[in-house]
Amino acid sequence: MIDKEEIFKQMREAIEAYDSEAAVKAARDAIDSGIDPLEAVEKGFAKPIRELGEAFDRMEIFLPQLMLGSDAMKAGMEVLEEAIKSKGGEIKNKGIVVIGTVEGDIHDIGKTVVGALLQANGYQVHDLGVEVPAARFIEAAGVHRADIIAMSALLSTTMLHQRDTIELLKNKGLRDKYFVIIGGAPVTPQWADEIGADGYARGAFEAVMFLDGNRGRWAG
Amino acid sequence: MNFKEMARRAESGPMMEAKDFLIKKVASNVMQLTGKYDIRWDGKTLVNLDDDLADRCWQAGRELLLSSGIYSMNSRRVIELEADEVDNALRFAPSWLVLGQGKDQVTIYHRNVEDRRLPFVFGGPFNADVSENMFVKLNEAFAQERIIDSLLFPGYLKQLDGQIIRPTSGLASRAAVLYGQWSREAVRRAGRPGMPITGHAVMGLNEIACTNEEWGLRSTDPRAMVLISELQVDDVTLTRLAYYIAYGCPIYIAFTPLIGGYGGGPEGTAIVAVASFIASVMLGGEIVHIGPQHIKFKQQTNQHSLFLASLVNQAVARNSHIIATTSHTTSARPGSEQYPYEFTALVLSCVTGGSNITGPRPAEPLGFNNVSPLMARLFAEVAHAGASMTREEAAPVVEKLYQRYKDNIDLEKTPRGKPFEELYDLESLQPDPEHRALYERVKEELKGLGIPM
Repeated sequence: MIDKEEIFKQMREAIEAYDSEAAVKAARDAIDSGIDPLEAVEKGFAKPIRELGEAFDRMEIFLPQLMLGSDAMKAGMEVLEEAIKSKGGEIKNKGIVVIGTVEGDIHDIGKTVVGALLQANGYQVHDLGVEVPAARFIEAAGVHRADIIAMSALLSTTMLHQRDTIELLKNKGLRDKYFVIIGGAPVTPQWADEIGADGYARGAFEAVMFLDGNRGRWAG
Repeated sequence: MNFKEMARRAESGPMMEAKDFLIKKVASNVMQLTGKYDIRWDGKTLVNLDDDLADRCWQAGRELLLSSGIYSMNSRRVIELEADEVDNALRFAPSWLVLGQGKDQVTIYHRNVEDRRLPFVFGGPFNADVSENMFVKLNEAFAQERIIDSLLFPGYLKQLDGQIIRPTSGLASRAAVLYGQWSREAVRRAGRPGMPITGHAVMGLNEIACTNEEWGLRSTDPRAMVLISELQVDDVTLTRLAYYIAYGCPIYIAFTPLIGGYGGGPEGTAIVAVASFIASVMLGGEIVHIGPQHIKFKQQTNQHSLFLASLVNQAVARNSHIIATTSHTTSARPGSEQYPYEFTALVLSCVTGGSNITGPRPAEPLGFNNVSPLMARLFAEVAHAGASMTREEAAPVVEKLYQRYKDNIDLEKTPRGKPFEELYDLESLQPDPEHRALYERVKEELKGLGIPM
């Protein structure tokens, strides 16, 4: 007789301890015990990762903990996702995001925070890293079947490349396929309007709220 | 230990992924050092009065640098440092420098905690977006404020001839040349041809093109570079350092530790900040600028940043002779009352802690030219007055000011302010009557709070 609650508890504790290996093990135990993987996602991983995001918002934990917690969840989710796919199902996420810092810009922290917080809030996030050329954003969005392209720029000079990505999307006839959001220290709502982005977020918390609040504009 | 050796280690140190450096080295070491040195914040102090805490913070920061090193982002290698190398670099770091030329030369000093000597004032557009047609006028208006010692970052030329500038383009090099020419023209028009211009043209490598002894930035002008948070350096910065060191320019290195980032809260980020001060010296920095960032706010006058700036400057002032300066980034914009309240709180916290001052600027400007030379004058006047205050005298004033603006630091709520063109008469380059009245009114208020203006 399997103790479902005990396995869910181990999954929750793995996230709370930021332990990727323990998250993978607990996810495998869930599958091996015949637990419905969708139930395991909801009762094992969803709650602690949501709580992690809330604790980060209150500044009770900080970026390293948020990143490690998100990584642990991602590792465990891969195990569950595989099991769900083998049964012909799929994991529900809020949306698929490709995120990166634009070409010529090596600033990492801003987009890392946004990515980790989106992940903690139920989005599937593909972090492309820094110095991402316009074509790479578009290519990755296609590969990952993204709903959203999120671009960060920390310098007044490099934010120009946010515009270039949107122009390249238009050139390829793909502009309407993706919801494009931008952010970064010098980025303003006026700049978002000027280059034809779909939205702007001042910070990571605002990015989550913006995407949640504008679901009707990009989902479906 | 010199730049040559740092550049060599950037190519030969142990290889590591950036994420591992930041999580396994920086974040992990900070957590351990925060406990070891008992670095705590009580959740309310804005101006640190605890000398022992400042000294422990210094020790923790030095140990963090020794245990983590500096990460070279492009080569993905760690520049590792030994204790005697760090101590020697600190020993031979300059405690004063002469900047500028001729009768406009000025000296910048290392300041001690509660140092009665006047702080050095870096004042100017501070990398605000500046339009082509206003560049010279706006910088002239700053340079004519005699209380400003060095023109600061004369502005970012985002467009030329109506065309947005791409960083590595030929247009960017042309912009860098014009940046040098127009900055020099501005100080000449203000009657201070040798006034030091602290340059940071935000053009990547192209910015070197603004260097020229006759018409541009000279070997006597500080040249600024920025480290990447946390404890990281990239090839563009190393390349600019190599050139400016060889050219003989005073080297101004800025860093921006992120509160809520890899260092954790204000306590851990203070340790990262001390480590970054020392790292800047290791890389050749002779003037070191701290500009603490915050994960929730873009500005530096929130309670976490006030405390961090106060503590870290004291740690550096008490334990080294590094020439330190602190940037001042506010929520409110020029033209509002809140703008001077915010920068005054941070100025008092920093100046009594041993720092010189850089700024001020709004975190989120209103498009182009959102600056006020008159507010830079007030900023400098507050700093001069603050030099005659103790930390105990400054602390309650900072607290009162913080209480005035704390509910409006959210950038959605902060006062809108006005651009330069609406605050100044563009013919006479004098503030308009309304802006002057704001200056006079706030200055009286600050006197009333006990600041000996």
